[in-house]
Amino acid sequence: MLAGAAAAAAAAAVAPQLGCAPLARRRRAATPAEVRRVATACELCPNKCAVLAVVENGQVKKLDPNPASPKSRGMLCARGNAAIKALYDPDRVKQPLIRAGARGEGQWRAVSWDEALDFTAERLQRLRQDHGPEAVLFSSTEGFQEEFFKNFGLAFGSPNILRHPTLCLASVNLAYSMTFGTVPSFDLLNAHYVIMSGANRFESIITPDTMDLIEGTMNRKAKLIYLDPRFTVTAAKADEWYAIRPGTDLAFILAMLHVIIKEQRYDREFVATRCLGLEELAAHVEHYTPAWAEVETEVPAADITRIAREFADAAPRAVYYAGRRSSWYVNDFQMRRGQAILNAIVGNWDRQGGVVPNSRIALGELLFLPWDDPAAPRVDEIDTRFPLAAKGDGAFLQARENVLAGVPYPVKGWMVYKQDPMNALPDRAKTQRLLEAMDFVAVIDTQMSDTAWFADVVLPESMYLERTDPLHMLPGIWPVVVLRQQVVPPLHDTRPNLEIIQGLAQRLGLGEYFEYTIEEWVAEQAAELPLDEPLAHMKQHGVFTPEGAPFYGRTLAPGFRFLTRSGKIELYSQRLAEAGHDPLPVYAPPRPVGEGSFRMVLGRKATHTHASTTNNVWLLEQTPTNDLWLHPEPAARLGIGDGDLVEVASAVGAVRLPARVTPEIRPDCVFMLHGFGKKSKHLRQAHGNGACDADVLVTAWDEVSGNAAFHETVVTVRKVGKEERRA
Amino acid sequence: MPEPRWGFLIVLYLFLGGLSAGLFFVSALATYLQRGTEPAYPRLARVGALLAPWPVVAGSALLVFDLGHWYRFYKLFVTFEWRSPMSIGAWLLAAFTGITVLSFWSWLSAETLAALVRRLPRRLRFLRVVDRPWREALRRPLAMAGFPLAVGVGIYTGVLLGAVQARPFWNTNLVAQMFLFSALSTGCALLILALSLRRAGLEAGEARLLFSLDIVLIVLELFVVLPYLIHGALSPLAVREAIGLVMGGPFTFSFWVLFFTLGLLLPLALELWEMRPVLLARQALHPGRAVAALSAVLVLFGGLVLRYVFVFAGQVSAFQ
Amino acid sequence: MRERLGLTREARWALALDARKCIDCKACVVACKAENDVPLHKFRNRINEERGGSYPRLRASFEPEQCHHCASPSCVRVCPTGASYQRDDGLVLVHADDCIGCGYCIIACPYDARFFNPKTRVVDKCTMCVHRVDAGREPACVETCPSRVRLFGDLNDGDGALRRALDARRAQVKKEQTGNDPQLYYLV
Repeated sequence: MLAGAAAAAAAAAVAPQLGCAPLARRRRAATPAEVRRVATACELCPNKCAVLAVVENGQVKKLDPNPASPKSRGMLCARGNAAIKALYDPDRVKQPLIRAGARGEGQWRAVSWDEALDFTAERLQRLRQDHGPEAVLFSSTEGFQEEFFKNFGLAFGSPNILRHPTLCLASVNLAYSMTFGTVPSFDLLNAHYVIMSGANRFESIITPDTMDLIEGTMNRKAKLIYLDPRFTVTAAKADEWYAIRPGTDLAFILAMLHVIIKEQRYDREFVATRCLGLEELAAHVEHYTPAWAEVETEVPAADITRIAREFADAAPRAVYYAGRRSSWYVNDFQMRRGQAILNAIVGNWDRQGGVVPNSRIALGELLFLPWDDPAAPRVDEIDTRFPLAAKGDGAFLQARENVLAGVPYPVKGWMVYKQDPMNALPDRAKTQRLLEAMDFVAVIDTQMSDTAWFADVVLPESMYLERTDPLHMLPGIWPVVVLRQQVVPPLHDTRPNLEIIQGLAQRLGLGEYFEYTIEEWVAEQAAELPLDEPLAHMKQHGVFTPEGAPFYGRTLAPGFRFLTRSGKIELYSQRLAEAGHDPLPVYAPPRPVGEGSFRMVLGRKATHTHASTTNNVWLLEQTPTNDLWLHPEPAARLGIGDGDLVEVASAVGAVRLPARVTPEIRPDCVFMLHGFGKKSKHLRQAHGNGACDADVLVTAWDEVSGNAAFHETVVTVRKVGKEERRA
Repeated sequence: MPEPRWGFLIVLYLFLGGLSAGLFFVSALATYLQRGTEPAYPRLARVGALLAPWPVVAGSALLVFDLGHWYRFYKLFVTFEWRSPMSIGAWLLAAFTGITVLSFWSWLSAETLAALVRRLPRRLRFLRVVDRPWREALRRPLAMAGFPLAVGVGIYTGVLLGAVQARPFWNTNLVAQMFLFSALSTGCALLILALSLRRAGLEAGEARLLFSLDIVLIVLELFVVLPYLIHGALSPLAVREAIGLVMGGPFTFSFWVLFFTLGLLLPLALELWEMRPVLLARQALHPGRAVAALSAVLVLFGGLVLRYVFVFAGQVSAFQ
Repeated sequence: MRERLGLTREARWALALDARKCIDCKACVVACKAENDVPLHKFRNRINEERGGSYPRLRASFEPEQCHHCASPSCVRVCPTGASYQRDDGLVLVHADDCIGCGYCIIACPYDARFFNPKTRVVDKCTMCVHRVDAGREPACVETCPSRVRLFGDLNDGDGALRRALDARRAQVKKEQTGNDPQLYYLV
């Protein structure tokens, strides 16, 4: 339709206009720019949306969504669009830096890569000699080149590889693994009934869930029930929003289970043939009545009963959505287990509109020299403390505690890749103590994060548009393989992570483990794809997705064995019982907040990713700073007006920021957006802008998964100044 | 509207354009008023004509410098957009400015012209050719030609705003009339001020004419302002909300105290007071220099405030 | 398609918006900045927000807005130099070279859709990404939207998606009383 219009539009441009035409219309013909469009994958958040980068005369001018990816559904969000400003940010780290003054003082010496790598390798070598390889912590967050970093840590010989899940979704992953033997996806594109606990999907964008949910709720009239102490955009779009008492979601879930089992609304055939432990469950939820849950949750019992019935009736096209950053309370695992069990008994498993195990696409693997297993045990003692947890990811907060205490052995060095523990962990002062306790800290990042600010050496990684990454398969109901390829050469003296790792490995005598190029790696991966010219296809289109997806019901075939101990979906878990945990989710009320105090809840906004985008001018235009959401009722009691400067204090710290007096939050909660209040003066937009939530968040974790429990923080609020500035 | 696009330069320009229109109007009127065959107010005609070009030239300069690209102002004159009040106004203003300059030239005395030419550098002395004996004969035709242009410029400053449908505060023809009467009134006022500051002071006849004229204009202005408010208050919601900007809104003080009271009522009272020998009895007028000057300053001030209120409040007003 | 059918009919571009689907994510706003090189703190499009109710019965709704490419554009009418103009396909555009930056059109727009660009020192506005439209593509704001709020199309195309959407659902325009005949159709 559009193509035909071009000629007509051109004719329109020369058509006479009303009024006398100006005598002189100078129309300078623009010099024809060299325009390239390169398919790649976004890295402004973990969704890996497919992007077509428009390059004009060597400059990245625009990032268009690539419609080929079923995961990103042909869209690109504000952050994805703003990646241009991240690439051309004048505050980037432009060459390797070695600390010249005291830690955190901001005195740096710009050095060559050789010097930086020599220095880093020499310090790592010294630590390995003096204390053994386990004296170095390797921590990173997810990313396409994380694997090289992780492998470097393993080749170095350290058992202390720490990844992001215990700051993110370890509890939900473990809960679903313990129940279904796998971590599934949720078919929001086809669900008719969706319940969400706090997963603010319209502000915390997850592909394709966010797009599928808006399509579902608005075009297919799917019903969305949303529980959150805060009135988010998701709450605004939901059919029903309940400002549930924080930390009581499990009571809501147990009461739903009570109603569904008591009224025999569960899928009897499915439960009988595929689930284990219905009788125990029925007995367990007997006393968890809606009337009881109303007292705990402040959701009316009649609504709980009705929602339970509607949910069961809508099944299998009904899901209790799991959410992603599932790090809330110390019983988080059990709450997620409750959701999983609820999903299981209504029989929505592996059905259209239900909870669907992920499909995958096989990629080739480049074989490289294997290394020996590390000799030392992990410093976070994950084997004994969290025996059920994913061992390779570690338990981040436990690791911090142990390293600070020097148990079970001293850890003296820390290498960080793409992660900002200063912001990602609760209690920033404690993280800073950890950094200061280290003999050596090296950070590989694209920007001078707060953690990099306290490092001894900063090794600047090239931005995503400047480098090629390994292929990645994104499992899901619509699985996809994406390529992130170089769009423009690096602007500054930066390197891709692999080359940084290779430089260090060679100097440490580990070079043989990394004897390949990124091109070889990608080619080997692509070789397995069912395409004639897989590499050429990936370079041209950036995306591969199999024909025929989605596939439902493969795990419903007779005789299918779930990856649980019993081979069935485990409503009752013997493994949990053996590990000393509740085999069925037992409700424990949240620790009381106390008179005059508030629970601090966390959340996201669609314009920022964690703590990584608060120096991006296009995103700051939309969300320039953060403030403290406070209900008008307590605000009046405390004499706080909208815009007044307040101090928020917890057991571990205090911050100051303006108050946003709003009814869009429960009177017993406060909220501030993450990622502001940076210490790093290198980030001129972010430094000192707003307040840092990590300064007040206390350390607590889920006892089963070790996942950080961010909502256990209780704060007091007091006014310290008149209206100063307004976000 | 996030920030008003038009600021104080535009306020000043609208004021100065109107001022010139008023000056020229009174000057032209005085050119034609005669007692028998003798001009009745030669000094008024002359001073008015000599003052008239300056404000509009200064105001046009302000307007040009308010443009995004000042040197592109010529583009206004390579086209005529008949639906654009600004295009019409630009041509009108150019024609009016030309007439005022010609009129200025025709009213300059030969001695002054000669004195001016003497001050020029030698190379420019040839400009003495502008002293033509037939200059004087042009005064009446120029006054004639300038009359409609002066009225047009006075109206145009209001039409510029009144023709904008998007701004309910402006979108009525009453704005044009209000601005016209205000413009003519400020012209009167500047003449009163100029003459009362002279050593000789205001002459009784001139005072009588100027005060009478100004009283009539202020009363006419009142008869436009009040209906504007009443009509606005009885209009659809958007207009009522717009009028609210001066009725208990952010512009209430400027409008009621600075413009209405200090700029209209007070000078009206002062001028009536001055005129009382004429109004109450058939006595000779003895104009007081201070009171005359004060009333004139107030009228000028009121004219400026009126344009300030309209330019800023208008830009804030919008349909919901 | 029209060429294939041998039709010579002129296009009339317009947008239909399903604002209920808007999640206030600002993708359209940032995409527009990138596509059109809009200076910092200036915007060619925006998302209006309405909030209300009383706790815990609250509401919030979001509504993207940009130039309405009116059929009877007051901005074009008031332009003293002819720099602001309308193409036959309905797009309201500005010849930057002819704009003197007087700001009259900014004031005359009932939708506050125009602004003074401090970099070019002339008026600036949404062009409906005319360079993309003329190349047969959708405007950047339409393309990037995660929730597909905007539907771009040709009102004259009787079988087109836009016409079909407007036939099937009632739509409202904003500030109709200003007489501009706006062409942003908000589906209700």
